Amino acid sequence: MSFGLLFLVSIVAGFIGAMSGMGGGVVLIPAMTLLGMNIKQAIAISIVSVIATSSGSASAYVRDRITNLKVGMFLEMFTILGALVGATITLSTGNAILFILFGVVLLFSWVALFVQRHEVWRAHPWQDRFTRWLQLEGSYYDQPTAQTIQYHAVRAYFGGPLMFGAGLIAGMLGIGAGALKVLIHDLVMGLPPKVSTTTSNLIIGVTALAGTSVYLAAGVIDPGLVAPVMLGILLGAFVGTRVLVRMRNEAVRRFFLVVLLVLGVEMVVRGLGGIL
Amino acid sequence: MSGASREQERASALEGRMDVLVSYVLLGGVLTAVLFVVVGLAWHWLNTGQLGVDYRISGMNLFEFVVDDLRQVGSAQLRPRLLVSIGIAALMLTPYLRVFASLLFFAFAEHNWKYVAFTGFVLSVLTYSLFLR
Repeated sequence: MSFGLLFLVSIVAGFIGAMSGMGGGVVLIPAMTLLGMNIKQAIAISIVSVIATSSGSASAYVRDRITNLKVGMFLEMFTILGALVGATITLSTGNAILFILFGVVLLFSWVALFVQRHEVWRAHPWQDRFTRWLQLEGSYYDQPTAQTIQYHAVRAYFGGPLMFGAGLIAGMLGIGAGALKVLIHDLVMGLPPKVSTTTSNLIIGVTALAGTSVYLAAGVIDPGLVAPVMLGILLGAFVGTRVLVRMRNEAVRRFFLVVLLVLGVEMVVRGLGGIL
Repeated sequence: MSGASREQERASALEGRMDVLVSYVLLGGVLTAVLFVVVGLAWHWLNTGQLGVDYRISGMNLFEFVVDDLRQVGSAQLRPRLLVSIGIAALMLTPYLRVFASLLFFAFAEHNWKYVAFTGFVLSVLTYSLFLR
């Protein structure tokens, strides 16, 4: 595959990923396989670029003091183990299964993106002893309402093991699986939306590193291909984030969500075609 | 001012410093990686007129990967490639260094041994994974 084409595809993937809030991998991997790349190689290259985009954006969020570093550190214990197991599974799985799984996860995260954001966050009235022992609480300054929001997490004993699953999927499919992580933070652990998004971003980087190591050791990562993809995704995500701030256009966002829906269905169909 | 609130203020200031440190590690790592990759690709392009860098790679861990390129640095042809490899290595080490910075912070600034243990676990697993082969 030519350098220029790969670079271009990555810019578009990074851009759509940032605009839709789903991350670059979900566009990048289907696109690269459509261009003829083996899906395992696409997964391996994508997961390296996930480290780049997540670290880049996490940097800004952490500085703004919205990210909860303790929640992140506790949950990373589970996600990195998941990613190690997931990447190992992928290496010994048939390509058709990976296509189907990718499509299904894409469709699920797509639904999650719609469901979660409609309810207003309210502080949980109670905190279980285990989560209190873990000191999972915090506060952040909310710019739009000019208020300091106090919060505490709950049910960490569920959140941890569930995050192993999120890490497993991230490692298997070479994506950040941010939508899934945010869902666990929101619904299970009761974190405010801003905290769950930014903390999930931080976790994604470390999780992707664990997955990357497995693929590197297996010799699936070609640095000659990683270079254009990493630069392209970063550039696309950077521009996408800027555009997102300036242009709050719901129609544009919806258009990208339709693109993702089509990609999800397309991956499932291709996978089934490989089996039948 | 009461002792308790002074203690709280101190903790909050500490956490602020930790946020800044972690944020710089992340940003610095990504920028370093981009810089090395871009310079490596540009150099390769000036040498050969081609943008794509050709790699033959077998399974190896991060350290073997860089050392392998270092060993071949005598050959002028491969120097741009080395820069690309260092860039990718820098990218991979960014989250690793972030965790390491958190460990130092929990240990020496906060004396929070619970989180020293958690962070230590994450760091050990990551170290193990970096040495996988």
